[in-house]
Amino acid sequence: MSLNQVTIAPIFPLWLIILLLVLGSAAAIFQYRLIRKRLGRNKALGLSLLRLAAISLLISFALNPSRAERREHEVSQAVAILVDTSQSMGLLGHPGSGSRLDEAKSLLNGGPSPLLKSLAERFELRLYGLGETLRPIKAGDVTRLKAEGKKGDLTDALGKLTGKNSLAVLLSDGNLKWEGDNPTGIPVIAVPLGDSDGYKDLLLRTVKAPALAFRGREVTIDVTVRGYGYSGLTLPVILKDGERLLTAKNVRLSESPGEGTVSLSFIPEDVGQHNLSVAIPPQFGESLASNNSINLPLKVVRDKIRILMVSGSPSLNYRFLRTAFKNDPSIDLLSFVILRTPSNILNVPVQEQSLIPFPVETLFAKELKNFDLLIFDNFQPHPYLRANDPEKVKEFVREGGGFAMIGGPNFLGEGGYAGTSIEEILPTRWAGKGDYRRDSPLGVKLSRAGMAHPITHLSPDEGDNLSLWRNMPPLDGVNRLEPKSSGTVLLESTGEISRPILTVGSYGKGRVLVLATDYSWKWYMGMVAAGKGNWPYLRLAERMVRWLTKDPGLDPVQITLAERAGAVGQDAEFRIRVSDEGTISLAVFNPDGVKIGARLKPTGKPGEYLGSFLPEKGGTYRMKVETRTGYLEESMAIPGLMEDLDGAPNNERLKTISASTGGKILGRGDDLLKEIQAHAARAQNRFVEERRLPLWAKLYFLIPILGLLGLEWYLRRRWGLI
Amino acid sequence: MISRRHFLSLGLGFAAGLLFPGPKLPSCAPFPQFFFAQIKYRGGEWDPNPEFVEAITEELELRTSINGLKERRLTTVGDPDLFYYPFLYMAGKYEFEPFTPQEREILRRYLTYGGFLFAEDTMGAKGFGFDRAFNREIKELFPAQELKRLPPDHSVYRSFYLVDNIGGRQRVNPFLEGITIDNWTPVIYSMNDLSGAWARDRFGKWINECVPGGEAQRSSAFKAGINIIVYSLTSDYKKDLIHHPFIKRRQNL
Repeated sequence: MSLNQVTIAPIFPLWLIILLLVLGSAAAIFQYRLIRKRLGRNKALGLSLLRLAAISLLISFALNPSRAERREHEVSQAVAILVDTSQSMGLLGHPGSGSRLDEAKSLLNGGPSPLLKSLAERFELRLYGLGETLRPIKAGDVTRLKAEGKKGDLTDALGKLTGKNSLAVLLSDGNLKWEGDNPTGIPVIAVPLGDSDGYKDLLLRTVKAPALAFRGREVTIDVTVRGYGYSGLTLPVILKDGERLLTAKNVRLSESPGEGTVSLSFIPEDVGQHNLSVAIPPQFGESLASNNSINLPLKVVRDKIRILMVSGSPSLNYRFLRTAFKNDPSIDLLSFVILRTPSNILNVPVQEQSLIPFPVETLFAKELKNFDLLIFDNFQPHPYLRANDPEKVKEFVREGGGFAMIGGPNFLGEGGYAGTSIEEILPTRWAGKGDYRRDSPLGVKLSRAGMAHPITHLSPDEGDNLSLWRNMPPLDGVNRLEPKSSGTVLLESTGEISRPILTVGSYGKGRVLVLATDYSWKWYMGMVAAGKGNWPYLRLAERMVRWLTKDPGLDPVQITLAERAGAVGQDAEFRIRVSDEGTISLAVFNPDGVKIGARLKPTGKPGEYLGSFLPEKGGTYRMKVETRTGYLEESMAIPGLMEDLDGAPNNERLKTISASTGGKILGRGDDLLKEIQAHAARAQNRFVEERRLPLWAKLYFLIPILGLLGLEWYLRRRWGLI
Repeated sequence: MISRRHFLSLGLGFAAGLLFPGPKLPSCAPFPQFFFAQIKYRGGEWDPNPEFVEAITEELELRTSINGLKERRLTTVGDPDLFYYPFLYMAGKYEFEPFTPQEREILRRYLTYGGFLFAEDTMGAKGFGFDRAFNREIKELFPAQELKRLPPDHSVYRSFYLVDNIGGRQRVNPFLEGITIDNWTPVIYSMNDLSGAWARDRFGKWINECVPGGEAQRSSAFKAGINIIVYSLTSDYKKDLIHHPFIKRRQNL
């Protein structure tokens, strides 16, 4: 024991200890003076010094002297081995060595003296599989590892390593996330896997596409193609809507690795959910074909409903319809009113009248396709339409346009439509000569179909709706029509003989409607007169337009997909709205057309449900929702796991990781065991243990005190003081 | 030659017509889209030009595609059928009794929700007689508004003819006034006695002389009348963009 090993930790304040020492010294001096006359100077001095020494020793214990003991220990070193198990590790490694994960397994367990065994003899080994998450594994589990899941996060994984590790060994192809932070400070030795020189693949590196598009407006999708091992290749990039080819463009890859960018444009024609796909054809020798295509869900909506309305003459019917359409910001109305007929007198020079020519040629031969809805309002074709214009209207409807005929004296027979293509597409036929009648006003009532049809469903409450229509003012003029078998009568006249007033039907892809009166405006003013406001008429006009233009909002079943695409292995959810609260069924079919399990639960809102299914692989899933009044099919694109995978071995990333952690990237010829040993040797593997032993607790420190006190007692006795 | 069956059916039809009066509107014109419904009010003189309808309706049918009735319908503001009239007409020379609150409420609702009223002071005395009473009623109906001169680009000046001044029996204002709500002008008012210029006796002679402009002023009154009627049935149709280049070109001719 040396003095520099002794430390003090006073149990009293230092001033108190000094005061005690002073008092002890004073007591010894006092004793010396007391006994000096009896024993003489020398003996008195001897006894007093003995007393002073004993008191000083006792007081010195208040300083709490202790002895520090330091011991140095050696610890066994721990090495963490991280095996990358993300999906890219399933791709081919070096020729003849199987997959990259097989390479890792062979490295750890292969050969006459397996690395794992050698390491276990020298170090404390901790093994981990690094997929989407880090999971500890046992040595025996290495052979059972599978390449699956998305790329792992190394920064996160290093932070989660247990215990104190001297270093981490990473077996990976470099396809993992690394943010440059090393929370533990452990050096990482990276062992690159995969053949970066011989890797061949083409992939869609980025596809920039909108999730929402407007019908009739150009959509552009920017695609970047990346190629490994295909320098100088020119290949097509194909854009499809389902199975229908939309467009294709060539892209050239001038180097390897290299990228080429191409913009694909098209004009969506149909509203609704579309499943687009972008693809490049697989090439010979490609490592991975599944990243050559990508599915893109695109919702197409219309920005505005474009209506072309032609009215046979100025009328209240025209004005109130115009008011209704102009009140709706989603409607773009172009109307023509025949202000004068050829038989009218023009008694002023042209500069004094505001009439414009009816551009029949431009409208029907060129522009008609740009409209969503065509309305003939009490419009007689002669002398305005040319012989083939009715055929153009028929073609417009066949291709998906909406067409409404509003009655009046010029309607059908008297208007000269009999026998034309227009009469052919209508859901009603002319009942005979003199079809327009203005005798006694006629009331209207809802037909059975009209009670459930979205056009005439003005109020959500069935009773209110019936009452609303029952109280509509009677019509002063109606056309006498008969429904065709293809037509559905929604409103019919009251009285002994029911005549169809509002009839709907379809032709080709389009929808048609006949309103057999030019007095529907009375439903506007009549309701205003009754103090019920103008909303029933405005709603009727709006719903007629939306139904004719196939607005999904009026369908009996609506499906709303989530904005974010689903993922394999995660519940894909979608919202269902039905107008009929009765029985509802949901069926989901996987990309192979096989029905899979699906769940349906009410959200708590009337007519709203949440549907879901579990996609097991990427592709387009089809959902079919059925109710009593109709059904709807919708599809959802689920991206595949390997869809956006760039599987090229990324040695650059491994170099960055090892350099920034103070580790090393190994070459193919390097001896991993030696490298690990060398790095481990550099790591600190000793620690010092320090212990403190209080001296006053030791017997050999009491002996001098007892000795001093005993000697003093002996001398006092001998010298006759006791 | 008429058959016996046809003769009998005509006779039965005539008898039935006497017993059960048919539609309220006489069917002088086939399927009219337009007729005048003239307001009878209390006090003043509600019918200063009783013979005005025939000539303007005749001109309307001759010049436009509109079928009109050559007979007017007389009504009151309290008439339950008021809301089904396409065109309310009100004229007078002298001050009339105020409308009742109930009448005002009906008229306000009619005009606010799409009805149309053409009113004219046939005396043409600003601030007196009919003009004062009518302005009083307008203030009651639309407290936040007052009759204002309709701007030259208003649709009523271009709904059929391109009109830049308003004629009439007299020429007090070369313009029309009105109340505009959003894009619709439900009330149009004139002090030029348009109906006085339209009025014609049963022998086809003009009842009133147009001063100071003579027949050109009468012609202008007919143009204005037709424009007002067409406006009442088409609203601001002529404001649609497609008409702009044509109208501009003609105005520059």
